[in-house]
Amino acid sequence: MNIKEYIESGNLEAYALGSLPPDEAGKVAEILSANAELRNELAQIEKTMLLFAASLAPALPVNLADKIWQETGGKIEHIATTNAGNADKTIPFQPEHYKKPSAWKYAATWVALSGSIALNMMLWNNNKKTELQNVAMLQKLDTLQTQQQQLTNLIDGYQKAKNMMADTAMKTIVMHTMQKGHPMAATLYWSQEKQEAYVSVDGLPTPPPGMQYQVWAIQNGKPVDMGVLPNNMANTPSIRKINMKVTSGEAFAISLEKEGGSPVPTMQNIYVMGKA
Amino acid sequence: MNATATYTEEELIQLLKGQSRQAFNYLYTNYAPALYGVIYKVLQDEQTSQDVLQDVFVKIWNNIAQYNPDKGRLYTWLLNIARNSAIDKTRSKGEIMKSKIQTGENVVHNLEQTSKTEVPTDTIGLRKMVNQLKPEYASIIDLAYFNGYTIEEISKTLNIPSGTVKTRMRSAMGQLREIYAIK
Repeated sequence: MNIKEYIESGNLEAYALGSLPPDEAGKVAEILSANAELRNELAQIEKTMLLFAASLAPALPVNLADKIWQETGGKIEHIATTNAGNADKTIPFQPEHYKKPSAWKYAATWVALSGSIALNMMLWNNNKKTELQNVAMLQKLDTLQTQQQQLTNLIDGYQKAKNMMADTAMKTIVMHTMQKGHPMAATLYWSQEKQEAYVSVDGLPTPPPGMQYQVWAIQNGKPVDMGVLPNNMANTPSIRKINMKVTSGEAFAISLEKEGGSPVPTMQNIYVMGKA
Repeated sequence: MNATATYTEEELIQLLKGQSRQAFNYLYTNYAPALYGVIYKVLQDEQTSQDVLQDVFVKIWNNIAQYNPDKGRLYTWLLNIARNSAIDKTRSKGEIMKSKIQTGENVVHNLEQTSKTEVPTDTIGLRKMVNQLKPEYASIIDLAYFNGYTIEEISKTLNIPSGTVKTRMRSAMGQLREIYAIK
């Protein structure tokens, strides 16, 4: 049999199209089974037929394969139609032993959560309160420390005053009021040997703004400046050391002068005076 | 859709007899577009054609055991079921009006439909070439492929010898093979 002639006869096309009567088709099938070249030719014819027919219709809906599979009585398996190799493997969304939590579990969760929130709020409030208390305590402590320092300073001052007064060489001069109807006094402690002097006041009013008390020593009938006193001294029972050397003095006086002091005392403003 | 695995016809038939989803997928991927094309060519209605395609696959599935490879190719067997089902549909009540004789209008309709689908864009060009099939070839293809006429029936219809019918089948298919570049 001439293969080429057989191919050209169109028998293979007629066979593929199903146009041959059964006896002729049977013969072609027989010939095909014995000839690879003819089988290959038939495969090409069939390929052409498939492509040609497929080009005549619109594309198939994507879900049609699944729908038809169901119609054939097959199980519904949503797997890629071309994924032939590892089919039938669908992993369930939830494990099989998964059970919906009971209402009690939800309730318990809520109770626990609410309790936790309440406790946290309470602790937070307590913490806030403690913090505030802590700040208050620190402030109190600060105040106490300041007061203690002040007391220490005061005691120190008293100690010095005591030592100063215990000095037998120390002379005490009491200055009396020079203003009628205004009982005032001041005391001057003077150690001529050491040329040191201390002053304390009693009942002297706080100087008006811009004014200051000034201490005077009367030497040879003339007042000599012994420096000014700090204003806060006026109404406190404190003793103040005079900054200048006090070598001599028949009498001592304190006058109210302009801030910073005056070269000579203002006579009508001499508040207290005492003879040595 | 392209099949990732390929089977020889013998392997495929064995697979189909096992009736697995894998076999179904292979069958559908490789043959559904062509069978749908044949059905659509006869019925010219998408929904009806899809319904018929579904029936065809159910028939194939239920009757695969009856397929005898000694009597013809698998595709020839599938093609027979598809076009017989489509032709039966045109004869059934209600479908007669829907079925249309291929007219120029329908060809235009076909082209528009094709351009909307997933088929490669050069298919539009191919469609034009297919439409340029020589009239004597086109009529042979139409009668044999889509109407299921036997050689004898075509011979009588076109008043040409059966040998000439076969050689024209050869020539018509040859022209299509040139279009699809199948040597």
